[in-house]
Amino acid sequence: MKEKMDYTEAFEELQTIVAEIEDGEISVDELSEKVKRAALLIKICKAKLTSTEEDVNKILKELDSGADEKE
Amino acid sequence: MSETINNKTIFSLLEVTKSIQKTLAERYKTDFWVKAEMNKLNLYRHSGHCYPELVEKQGEKVVAQIRSVLWKDDYVRINNAFLKILQEPLKDGIKILFLANITFDPVHGLSLRILDIDASYTLGDLEKEKQATIQRLQLEGIFDQNKKRSLPLLPKRIAVISVETSKGYADFIKVIESNNWNYTFFHMLFPSVLQGEKAIPSITRQLASIKKVKQHFDVVAIIRGGGGDVGLSCYNNYILAKEIALFPLPVITGIGHATNLTVSEMISYENAITPTKIAEYLLQKFHNFAVPVQQAQDIIIDESQQLLSDQNIKLRSYTQLFRSVVENKLLYNKSIIKEQIQSIVQQSGFMFKNERSSLLKIIADIQKDAIVFCKTSVLNIESLTERIRSTSTGFLKNNNLEMEHIKKNITNMSPEKVLQRGYSITMFNGKSISNVSDLKTGDEIKTIILTGEINSTVNTIKEKETT
Repeated sequence: MKEKMDYTEAFEELQTIVAEIEDGEISVDELSEKVKRAALLIKICKAKLTSTEEDVNKILKELDSGADEKE
Repeated sequence: MSETINNKTIFSLLEVTKSIQKTLAERYKTDFWVKAEMNKLNLYRHSGHCYPELVEKQGEKVVAQIRSVLWKDDYVRINNAFLKILQEPLKDGIKILFLANITFDPVHGLSLRILDIDASYTLGDLEKEKQATIQRLQLEGIFDQNKKRSLPLLPKRIAVISVETSKGYADFIKVIESNNWNYTFFHMLFPSVLQGEKAIPSITRQLASIKKVKQHFDVVAIIRGGGGDVGLSCYNNYILAKEIALFPLPVITGIGHATNLTVSEMISYENAITPTKIAEYLLQKFHNFAVPVQQAQDIIIDESQQLLSDQNIKLRSYTQLFRSVVENKLLYNKSIIKEQIQSIVQQSGFMFKNERSSLLKIIADIQKDAIVFCKTSVLNIESLTERIRSTSTGFLKNNNLEMEHIKKNITNMSPEKVLQRGYSITMFNGKSISNVSDLKTGDEIKTIILTGEINSTVNTIKEKETT
């Protein structure tokens, strides 16, 4: 779940944490957990901005095969 | 002139064609305006002349067709007028209103010579096509279809339909590749013709390709740049516009021109004026994501520090409050204890004094009572002594009398007295005999009487019968 998390979900969860922390809904007891979680979410989001996983060769292969009719 | 052979009048081919030429020339003396569809322009690059194919259709059926010629000079003039008014060159498949005359050449046959073409007529026709496309898309309910697609938060995988060598493509790549924020895009080029009639099948084909691998892409960008505002009416074409409208991914157009929007641009998810603007649009999407993330980071850091420092301050003030409360409590208790000590000392002093005085009183009482008791006892002893004395004297007197009496009795009982009264004592072996069984005949016995002793031998023994 840690690595597989969708960046959209990560972004939304991050917004929720920010809202909670801004509204003062987070106690000192929860703070450490929330900050840790937020750090992870920020990492996922930032990684998404600066990386890509697509491979041109793979796409070309799929184009050539023509068998792939995913509509 | 004709000759007669076997009663037959015979013309040469040249005579006939010349006759036709003459007849037509006499019949069609003036130029006239004709409207028709120019199916093919048939421009010969080498000579610069055109041989347009003109047709009239009813539905899809060709009901009239004629060849025509457009000489090089006329073509250049008319083409310039088209470019100026329509932003389109003369091309295949447009409706034209043209000034012509009929020419007949014995070698080349019948054709219409085009002298002029009314560009505004074609413009109106193109506008009509554009409006027809819009209406049809609206009628089919797909005009807004592509706008309803959802663009991912980060549109980072871009299928680009463009020309590799075009300025627009280069601009686009430059902006998204060398952005200052290290945003990384994945883009792949699907090369296509981007203007003129050929753009329609070319773009459509590439859209079909992208559709096959659409799971690898977030967005399609149709990018054209440079080449002026010419040959863009293809973007009003119904087939192309429909493909874009129905495309499963958002399509962004950056066709780059200054004239009215084409239908393809109207129905695309987003239309940018230039390729650079498309790139900026995509970068903006990244900003829209990156900025809140960065802000989130800043806010979380600030707020957590604030929260911690607030708690620290609160804790410190509670500690101070606690200390002062405790100190007060201690002082208060200390003073209470001091009071208690004093009170205990005082109380115990009193108690000692009281106890001592009551003890002294008890001692005095005991002394007094003891003296009284002793005195009473002495008196009692004295009286008892007196009583013992007097009692014992009487008792002794009585006893003496009794003793006298007993003595008298004892005297009376003495053997001498008994013997005096005639009694005797029989003895055997020094012991008095009272039982005949102690004796047997022949034993020597002694009998004592008052005045002496008699020794005798036993003759007979007669035992007294017991009753």
